[in-house]
Amino acid sequence: MFESMAFDSVSEFLQMGKYTFHVWSVYALFAVFLTVNLYLPLARRRQFIREQQRRALRDSQANQSPDGDDGRSDANGGSE
Amino acid sequence: MWQWFFRLGSPKWFYELSGRWLPWLYVAMTVLLSVGVIWALLFVPQDYQQGDTIRIMYVHVPVASISLACFPLMAVAGVITLVWKMKLADMVAMCAAPIGAWFTAVALATGAIWGQPIWGTWWAWDARLTSMLIQFFLLIGVIALRSAIESQDAAARACALLSIVGAINVPIIKYSVEWWNTLHQPASNFAMDNESPFGPEIWVPLVIMIFAVYLFFVISLILSTRNEILVRERRSQWVVDLIAAQKPQGA
Amino acid sequence: MKPHRRKKLTIIAFIATGLGVAIGLSLYALSNSIDLFFTPTQVAAGEVMSGQRVRVGGMVKEGSVMRSEESLHVEFVATDYAHDVLIRYDGILPDLFREGQGVVVEGMVANGVFEASRVLAKHDENYMSVEVKAALDASGHSMPVQETEGAANGS
Repeated sequence: MFESMAFDSVSEFLQMGKYTFHVWSVYALFAVFLTVNLYLPLARRRQFIREQQRRALRDSQANQSPDGDDGRSDANGGSE
Repeated sequence: MWQWFFRLGSPKWFYELSGRWLPWLYVAMTVLLSVGVIWALLFVPQDYQQGDTIRIMYVHVPVASISLACFPLMAVAGVITLVWKMKLADMVAMCAAPIGAWFTAVALATGAIWGQPIWGTWWAWDARLTSMLIQFFLLIGVIALRSAIESQDAAARACALLSIVGAINVPIIKYSVEWWNTLHQPASNFAMDNESPFGPEIWVPLVIMIFAVYLFFVISLILSTRNEILVRERRSQWVVDLIAAQKPQGA
Repeated sequence: MKPHRRKKLTIIAFIATGLGVAIGLSLYALSNSIDLFFTPTQVAAGEVMSGQRVRVGGMVKEGSVMRSEESLHVEFVATDYAHDVLIRYDGILPDLFREGQGVVVEGMVANGVFEASRVLAKHDENYMSVEVKAALDASGHSMPVQETEGAANGS
């Protein structure tokens, strides 16, 4: 199946017959789709871990006097 | 007898197991995706009628067919949520909806780009295209319903019901091209024999791309489900320990 | 399984089956309006009113395409191999338009002729490389689609 490429030259490949726009826009969209759906959850995970670490740090610093902020986050969880 | 089933429902168990699987899934997806895309773009011969637009098929068909897996998955998760109240099932269903919406949108968009030169129109209100658009709106509906209901349990139940109802659309999408006359062509036959004009030089890369996109679906579903597990279980000891063990993520 | 779970599962199964049957029946009833186009046989049977905007689908009959020399005007016959409809059209045809290929035309019947305002090509589910197509034609193993350029290549 690999005996021959479908194109004779790089410019022919980039041209995709008369369908330059159609073929390449589909593959560009596909690339965006893949990147976004793999990147977004990873970015969310990093952000969440950062938030929780900051909260843990704050909680350990203000251990003696639990402030309103901490209480709110707990109330939020409790209502679920 | 049901023990395995409930173990499966433990978010912690799923988090740890998926963490072990992810590297392998990444490797498999990257390999299949690279081979598939290079094959589709460089080696697939031009179609005798469609020329190079046949290369669009290698994105459109995998994405469209996997978008159909989303509702059945959400429906099964919905039944488990309603009957056994398993938290993990609801998390998976919740994360599957936006991913499914993405898949459906990309299937519609790539189909439009393909249809524009080949059919002469980017859109027709035929049964296949319309039922696919309905699936998109149903998924948007599920996402909206989830965010509209304050109580997490009530939202889970409502979304589960809507997903079960919405899954009825899937066989309609699948068989629309046979039940009604449409602009969209019927499904192609992957005949393995040499009699079929649909030869291996055309279907082998398609099968590779279908597996690659399937892996992509599974990976993105696992990634967002893991996030959802961390968020919902943030006050349980194992998540607190896990976050403490992570190295600081910048300021 | 605990009884209350079994009960829930039964309720869900009932709702899903009920809705499935309801939707199935309404789709069956709406069948005609869900179809994208009328077939030439339906047109011949008088299902299409004169002056009503409709779509008709069929194959472009071999040897029926007549193009005007100086304008985009084109006439061809759409057929389902039982009945024919003569179609007139002024405009740009899609890339895939050719004899033996499926088309969907939009327009209305006037004086026994279908005046099309839009022509769409219907693709079939077969994909072939130019070489395979030529080899098939040469061996007389042809698909219903006859293609002159392909056959010329194969000899």
